[in-house]
Amino acid sequence: MTYDEGGKVRMLVHDEGDDVAIVLIDIAAGTDCTGSVVRTGAPIAPVRAVDDIPFGNKIALRKIPAQAQVIEYGAPIGVATQDIAPGAHVHVHNLRSGRW
Amino acid sequence: MVANVKVTGFRRPGGRFGIRNHVVIIPVDDISNAAAEAVARLVNGTLALPHPYGRLQFGVDLALHWKTLIGSGRNPNVAAVVVIGIEPAWTGLVADGIAQSGKPVASFSIEGNGDISTIMRATRAARDLVGDATAIERTECSLADLVVGIKCGESDTTSGLASNPALGVVVDRLAVAGGTVLFGETTELTGAEGVIAGRTATPELRERFEGMFREYADVLERDGQDLMGSQPSKGNIAGGLTTIEEKAYGNIQKTGSGPVVDVLEPADPPTRPGINFMNTSSAGAECVTLMGAAGAVIHFFTTGQGNPVGNPIVPVVKICANPQTVQRMAEHIDVDIHDLLMGELTLGQAADRIVSAFAATARGRLTAAEILGHREFILTRLHRSA
Repeated sequence: MTYDEGGKVRMLVHDEGDDVAIVLIDIAAGTDCTGSVVRTGAPIAPVRAVDDIPFGNKIALRKIPAQAQVIEYGAPIGVATQDIAPGAHVHVHNLRSGRW
Repeated sequence: MVANVKVTGFRRPGGRFGIRNHVVIIPVDDISNAAAEAVARLVNGTLALPHPYGRLQFGVDLALHWKTLIGSGRNPNVAAVVVIGIEPAWTGLVADGIAQSGKPVASFSIEGNGDISTIMRATRAARDLVGDATAIERTECSLADLVVGIKCGESDTTSGLASNPALGVVVDRLAVAGGTVLFGETTELTGAEGVIAGRTATPELRERFEGMFREYADVLERDGQDLMGSQPSKGNIAGGLTTIEEKAYGNIQKTGSGPVVDVLEPADPPTRPGINFMNTSSAGAECVTLMGAAGAVIHFFTTGQGNPVGNPIVPVVKICANPQTVQRMAEHIDVDIHDLLMGELTLGQAADRIVSAFAATARGRLTAAEILGHREFILTRLHRSA
């Protein structure tokens, strides 16, 4: 379901320790999101969105300092180009590849 | 178990099974396309494979051209072949390479004859080949008898979350059942290449894989280039993918979890059952064409934002988990598993749905790309022409 029973927007993470999750509906800033791990279904800590985030985009689950690696799939997927707040939209404006 | 799913196919000389029964007209070079297409218009049941190359190529690029044309003719989805080229030597080279597979081949060259006479002679040959091909009956085989290619395209975050993991379950089931699967997309492993290297079955294979990966990275470095703007593509970014590393981790979900049993050059036929890596472009139609030339008779293609790619001889099965795409581009999607993304379906159930589509396609049901006329026969070039 796109919404959990509590009416909160659902998000999915690939790995328990990931810094980011994927939201499964267009959400507005201020929305509370709850989520689970894809393969195990284990719940993850909820987060409140601080940006509008479109379907299929990433939301930060915790504070990520500028220049820190961003972890998804339990692996680095790039480097934060600015401080990223919990609940922020994570995409090309604040994350870039570590390869090019 | 996929090994128990019985389907029917066309058993070719040499024992491989195909699931289509095409008579193809292969032009050796660009200037033979017109004659090849003329024959295909005149003879029902034939299919021309026009392409833009075949003149003044050299070295490994020319070798890959031959390997791709010959391999496509040898593909078990092909019953018989007419080869048309400008002159007899290279025409004969392609025809002989295909004929070694044991299937019927007729070849014609245009120089000294002209298009019209060539078309007339090739049309008579094609007419007889179609008669014989359509008399071939399907016989029972298992899904594990069918060589499979896999690729993702116009990927987005739903690919890594749902469609690729579901295909990965199918790949593992096929490998356990003794099937043969090809995956490639060398540049699209960037960031996750260590995971694939770690899955190679022997140190020698690992070295070969790492060599292929470095080769493309060295080309970029030599030319002072990177793939920013191409990898990820604009479509990927619109779908929420931000970096090549994120795309790569999503990509490898579809390769399952088993060992990588071989590391193949482009268009090389696999000889080992299991999960095989092939050094290919990440461009959809090029990759599907190379895997077809290696003998893949079906291709599973996951997409997030929607990609209509097809191939003239290999049915391409589209799998999608994006709930928006399965509505907006429904006519291109063969397997809709958006309910997996929504948590209403398990990974195993999604895999079952792909296996059902595999069996239906093998038995003859046309894929969306076949129905819509997608016949992208796209040859990979390594050099510019001499």
